[in-house]
Amino acid sequence: MAEPRLPVGPALASLRRRQLVKAGLTHAALIAACLVCVYPLLRMIAVSLRPGDRLISTDLALIPAGATLASYARVFAETNFLLWLWNSLVITAVTSLIGVSLAATAGYAFSRFRFPGDRLGLTLLLGTQMIPAGMLLLPLFLMIMRLGLINTYLGMVIAYSVSSLPFSIWILKGYYDTIPRSLEEAALVDGTTRFGAFYRIVLPLSTPALSIAFLFNFTQAWNEYLVARVVLCDAQKYTWTLGLFELQGQFITQWGMFAAGSFLVTVPVLLIFLHSSKWLISGLTLGGVKG
Amino acid sequence: MISALLQVLEFVALLALAVAALESYLYFHFTYYDRKWFLPASVAAVLVLTLAAAGLVLDAGRAVSWAAAAALVEAVTALVFSHLVRGRHSLPVMLLAPGFIGLALLIAYPLVFEVYLAFHDLKLTTIMVWSRTGRIPFVGFKHFFKVFTSSPLSSVSFWQLLGRTVWWTLSNVFCHVAGGFALALLLNNCRRLRGVYRTFLIIPWAMPQVVAVLALRGEFHSQYGFVNVMLERLVQALPFLAGWGVGPVEWLGRHALLTCTLINVWLGIPFMMVVILGGLQSISQHYYDAAAIDGASAWQQFCHITLPLIRPVLAPAVTLGTVWTFNNINVIYLVTGQAGGSEDADILVSALYKAAFTFYRYSYSAALAIVIFLMLFAFALVWLRFSKGSESAYG
Repeated sequence: MAEPRLPVGPALASLRRRQLVKAGLTHAALIAACLVCVYPLLRMIAVSLRPGDRLISTDLALIPAGATLASYARVFAETNFLLWLWNSLVITAVTSLIGVSLAATAGYAFSRFRFPGDRLGLTLLLGTQMIPAGMLLLPLFLMIMRLGLINTYLGMVIAYSVSSLPFSIWILKGYYDTIPRSLEEAALVDGTTRFGAFYRIVLPLSTPALSIAFLFNFTQAWNEYLVARVVLCDAQKYTWTLGLFELQGQFITQWGMFAAGSFLVTVPVLLIFLHSSKWLISGLTLGGVKG
Repeated sequence: MISALLQVLEFVALLALAVAALESYLYFHFTYYDRKWFLPASVAAVLVLTLAAAGLVLDAGRAVSWAAAAALVEAVTALVFSHLVRGRHSLPVMLLAPGFIGLALLIAYPLVFEVYLAFHDLKLTTIMVWSRTGRIPFVGFKHFFKVFTSSPLSSVSFWQLLGRTVWWTLSNVFCHVAGGFALALLLNNCRRLRGVYRTFLIIPWAMPQVVAVLALRGEFHSQYGFVNVMLERLVQALPFLAGWGVGPVEWLGRHALLTCTLINVWLGIPFMMVVILGGLQSISQHYYDAAAIDGASAWQQFCHITLPLIRPVLAPAVTLGTVWTFNNINVIYLVTGQAGGSEDADILVSALYKAAFTFYRYSYSAALAIVIFLMLFAFALVWLRFSKGSESAYG
């Protein structure tokens, strides 16, 4: 068999050309896919900029004729938009705080200790992800009703508090596993208790994973709609998801306000997600990436 | 606004107190289990504390019986701690206790309660009685029969919903994996600007789902939505297409399920793309170089290198994606859930949600939920046996 020859002269030129064409096609396909992904967002901006008398139109221009920020002004002036954001913020912050504190300790127990039922516990945690959300919702709703917590922040906090817990425990357990045990052993030699070693050594080192777990809890609760729909019924208590749904549902004339509100909510969420995406994704695909 | 905030903060403080009480209880039982005074002291403490607490809310007779019951339970617990546990595993148990009690109260207990509901009759007419007295009539398997014989909503049957669910799950997962694979391969082959493309391609996943679904729902509006406007312009530009049946479509009215599927495909591709890209990047380039020297075509390389090596990454992601898609109420409810929305797009879980919260048929929907759960459970068992997809999750 002849030795593979390095391409020279005309052969090299044709190889280059083929590679160029291939790269060009790849870029073209990727740009098309990016457009599909971004276009709805751009359309949202376009609709939010439309003047009130031209809200309903088949116009596809990204910056509509007579662009105005009136919809943004109206969404603040005519709806409870700021109140909705505040409601969401209170509920979400408290929920995430509870969720992360519970997950931080539980994850450590799973990472460092062997005790009867540890494997089973981890499997059960994974199993909870299989339970249809709609299935838990009804008994939770009835429990909240029985406690007289319908239409309160508290009911929402209770309903949300453990929903992201199994996932957070898995993320944190995975991260603790990567921290060398020798650090804690050194601390134990120096005279701390086992809990002290966790609290003073492991916890500070886990700040990145803790913030990811917090972020995960936060985005889950921040974007939640279905539980809020059944627990909250007073427009004063609405979270922003309920508020925007109302705006979108009522009349087509609210379309501009809906688009403006949506854009304002989306931008921070998008920035946070993209900023932390590497981390979030590695947590989310924990099972996958490790395989 | 502020008072509600204070209420929440008060709750957090109470919660912290409860956790502290729980931890000190456990600490006491783990540390002093071998003292002589351990059993009498703990029983006496529980007796006094329950008596005081129950005395505040109940009448004297019931408070005494509650306290006696609590003391009995405590005696058994203390014996378990002094003879079986004997101070072992103290730290992990104390670390896990708050989280697992939370999970037990808010996941395990609701599941049990759901089973109870399914065998009793809770609906709009009995809920007021229940919320006052806690009593509902027992009806046995009636609701389970009804699940299979009557409609969960107004006309669509259980079997139709099941068929739609299967179609919805299969078509979505297939499109997610195919689309995700295509984009991941493109990204992997692309040297420049990869990070930029990746950022843009993740946007559907990063956007709040409510916003994304509602915005896309608007784009499927029959007159002003982007999709139909484009179709109309296409037909205007190329009139012969109209002869082939191309033209504006009643997306939300006639093809609601298809619309939901398109929206969900758009939402779900980035996740698969990211997972697959991670897998692709972990495959060493040496395999491809070796295969190229042996003269393997790109297709052969894909089939014999990429696919087998990506399998351990793909299998858990597909399992997860299947369960998520099967359980996806959000997209369908947000598209069709408004007053007057159709039920042409409903799948099992969205019918479950609507049966409970639009039609107030609580017990019926509890029975439906159990049927769905058992189906999903059976599927998971079969799937795990065939794919061994869970193994890699343990790392």
